Amino acid sequence: MTEQKSLLAVFHDLEPAADAVEQLRRLGIHDDHMSVISGVPVTEPMLGRPHQWTNVPRIAMGGAAIGMAVGIALSFWAPNMYAIRVGGQPFAPVPPAIIVIFEMTMLGMLLSTFLGVFLDSFFPNYRPLHYVPEISDGKFAILVECSSMDETKITDMMKKMGAESVQDAEAQHL
Amino acid sequence: MTTIDLNLVGAKGALVEEAEGKWGMVIDQDICTGCQACVVACAMENNIAFVGEEDSGYGRSMHWIRIERFWEGEYPEVKMTHYQPMLCQQCGKAPCEPVCPAFATVHSQAEKVNLQVYNRCVGTRYCANNCPYQVRSFNWRDYNDDRLDEAIASLKNHFNPDVTVRRRGIMEKCTFCIQRIHKAQDKAKSEGRAVADGEFTTACAQACPADAIVFGRVDDPESLVSQLARQSHGVHHLEELGTLPRVTYLVGGQ
Amino acid sequence: MSEKQQHDHEKHLREEHLMLDPLPRGQMNDMVMESMHTTSWKFWAVFFILSAFVAWGLFYSWGKMILEGLGIAGVNRPSYWGIFLVNTVFWIGISHAGTFISAILRVFKAEFRRPFTRAAELMTTFGLVQAGFSIFMHMGRVWLSYWLFPYPNQRELWPNFHSPLTWDLLAITTYLLSSTMYLFLPLIPDLAMARDKSTGWRKNFYKVLALGFRGTEGEWTHLRHAMNIFAWAIIPVMFSVHTIVSWDFAMATRPGWSSSIFGPYFVIGALHSGMGAVVLVLGVVRGTMKNMKYFIRPEHFDGIGKLMLMISMGWGYFFFNDYLVQWYGGDKWTKQLLHWHEAGPMGWMWFAMLIFNVVIPWAVLWNRKWRSTPWLVGTVGLLINFGMWFERYIIIPISLTINRAPFTWRLYKPGIEIPLSLGTLAFFILLYMAASRLIPLIPVWEVQEGQMAHEFKKFGRETVVTVSELE
Repeated sequence: MTEQKSLLAVFHDLEPAADAVEQLRRLGIHDDHMSVISGVPVTEPMLGRPHQWTNVPRIAMGGAAIGMAVGIALSFWAPNMYAIRVGGQPFAPVPPAIIVIFEMTMLGMLLSTFLGVFLDSFFPNYRPLHYVPEISDGKFAILVECSSMDETKITDMMKKMGAESVQDAEAQHL
Repeated sequence: MTTIDLNLVGAKGALVEEAEGKWGMVIDQDICTGCQACVVACAMENNIAFVGEEDSGYGRSMHWIRIERFWEGEYPEVKMTHYQPMLCQQCGKAPCEPVCPAFATVHSQAEKVNLQVYNRCVGTRYCANNCPYQVRSFNWRDYNDDRLDEAIASLKNHFNPDVTVRRRGIMEKCTFCIQRIHKAQDKAKSEGRAVADGEFTTACAQACPADAIVFGRVDDPESLVSQLARQSHGVHHLEELGTLPRVTYLVGGQ
Repeated sequence: MSEKQQHDHEKHLREEHLMLDPLPRGQMNDMVMESMHTTSWKFWAVFFILSAFVAWGLFYSWGKMILEGLGIAGVNRPSYWGIFLVNTVFWIGISHAGTFISAILRVFKAEFRRPFTRAAELMTTFGLVQAGFSIFMHMGRVWLSYWLFPYPNQRELWPNFHSPLTWDLLAITTYLLSSTMYLFLPLIPDLAMARDKSTGWRKNFYKVLALGFRGTEGEWTHLRHAMNIFAWAIIPVMFSVHTIVSWDFAMATRPGWSSSIFGPYFVIGALHSGMGAVVLVLGVVRGTMKNMKYFIRPEHFDGIGKLMLMISMGWGYFFFNDYLVQWYGGDKWTKQLLHWHEAGPMGWMWFAMLIFNVVIPWAVLWNRKWRSTPWLVGTVGLLINFGMWFERYIIIPISLTINRAPFTWRLYKPGIEIPLSLGTLAFFILLYMAASRLIPLIPVWEVQEGQMAHEFKKFGRETVVTVSELE
């Protein structure tokens, strides 16, 4: 019976971290079983990692569409409920409607972009997580899930690649 | 050759057609003596607040009609020109209406006048800024609260029960004495007839000793007000703005 | 170039540019944390004085005005709008700087923006709060202001979408919400940093705000995409907000207001006062907060100074455009109005506006050495803000004095507007002071990202600076 373990290796630089990712793959660890946590944004190609899927742009477009629908409804449908004529102007004129539709579209888009980050990243998340505080000092950490049999092998490899520390990662309150 | 539809391009013919209101007024500046009787009568009829000397001097008088005085030349060589009674022109295309965010000033489809909805007004004062005639007055304080001014208490019995007393923070303006219009219409309806020309009039017209103010139906070409307004020396104030005012001024006649 | 010369050249560049002078991230984190933790007695003295101002100027005076009516303010016929609207336009103008710096400079990848984007964005949010206060103060019956919002109600009555004020309300709401979100997104990694570095109540405070951010690939990717969308989308929102503010005036049937150039003229005016305020705030932050001399350097004042000069020229261009067209038209009321501006009792303000907005900025900012001097360019920023406040004062109460009904012409004299204005100013500074001790004012991760991207490169015999595109 093999036990699942989580290892957290902390690297000072980007280069050795990227090398370690490659070595891990050679040791038979699938990309799904490792992740990189960093204090600065690095792109997936820099680490040689697969493309990261994000729904944020799609959610933003969806929000924009809803916002636009709200804008159109406010401009052309809402005034009908209580018809009032003002200043000899047409009842529901188009030029002011463009302003309302624009503002509502942008509001819908930006609100949903913000919401998208929350949904995609599972924010807010106050459960215990695998983490070491040094990461926010600009370090790169690789979190590996492996069987306990591979533990020493992986630890040695990481050390060899220049990891500052390799530790049993225990989920903790941040 | 293609002809251009003048109605389509908003030429004057189209404007005149649209200008057809219901109620209107003619003010003859040639016979106005500037006696201010209309101002007083309006204040009594419409429960207009007494704002006091200081506020009045600072531009906060609340009269719905005022007598504007102008002169020509430099002191002491001054020559008075005509008195100009100024009140809400009940514009057909009122600039005050579209700018209110709360729909507190709207156009009455039935009476074709410009309404101020007191209990909807939140006091942005945009309408007053946008009124080219500057005839809207704002309740800067609770002028009718006798807790703030004891002298007001004695005036309370003078209030006209047909007209709302306004509180601080809202806009108000001339209504063409809409309470009188409604009263006359109700009476005529109960007697099964139409309102006759001259059967009733506004407070200002009623009080004018020189009969310089005439009120009535402008959509009836036979009414007194329509006949007076048709005279060649009738003018609309700031007509060039396209506000379609319902008040015609007679000035410079024989 | 000899080796020694080259070495000196590199050293000089390093001293000048933050991006070429990297420190270990841990050290930068500690510096930013220290700047938040350090408060002298002077900080608290100013803090309490400002609190007193807010209590008296904002809350007491406003409460009194709500109870007694606008009679205790200076508004009258014909100046139905007074300093309240001046302040609203002024604060919305201030708020434009944050978006300009962090969105436009981000989109155009101007690297010098990195250390002070947050300091500018904070001004956006806090400025808009003051604008909100000012516009609600102005209302006659503020307790009914919810009628202006489009919400379903039993009366089935919606706000009037014909009214520029309704557009304004929608635009300002959109802008306030989106600029606050745009402030918060890049702040999350810094809040996580602060969480990792603090103890006690601060730990809990940052723990809640950081939302459990660790810096996984997914989190960074979502954040990067979102920030990119925000940076592009908030620019048209920003332009729309001040354009709509200008339409509050331009839509009116009034001499002097009815002008089609008001939109861009107001936008550039907003940027003018906003940049002036940013440079002033940066000067104060650099001068009073610990470790800020490392992050905010003369190069940043130089960079903003150039923008200020450009914007000042733009403002002059639009002002002249507006003036010339009004003057040439020869309308009798407009002629009266222009004469009133220049030769009326408030003529001094009109000339001061031109001196503060054009003459002084042009005289000072053309010189690289002068515009790199924090106190000097900060002073110019302060004067620009006076100039821009005067501009709005001229457009609102002074222009309202002249209308097409000369019988009503009367000058406006401010009353309780003065304590209320001081109250909003004090509240802005107070919020900013509190924020400077509660959230990391420097986006450390963005600074580190920039420092990683910069390096020296030999180009022939000369050492030059290169920037790699990491995003």
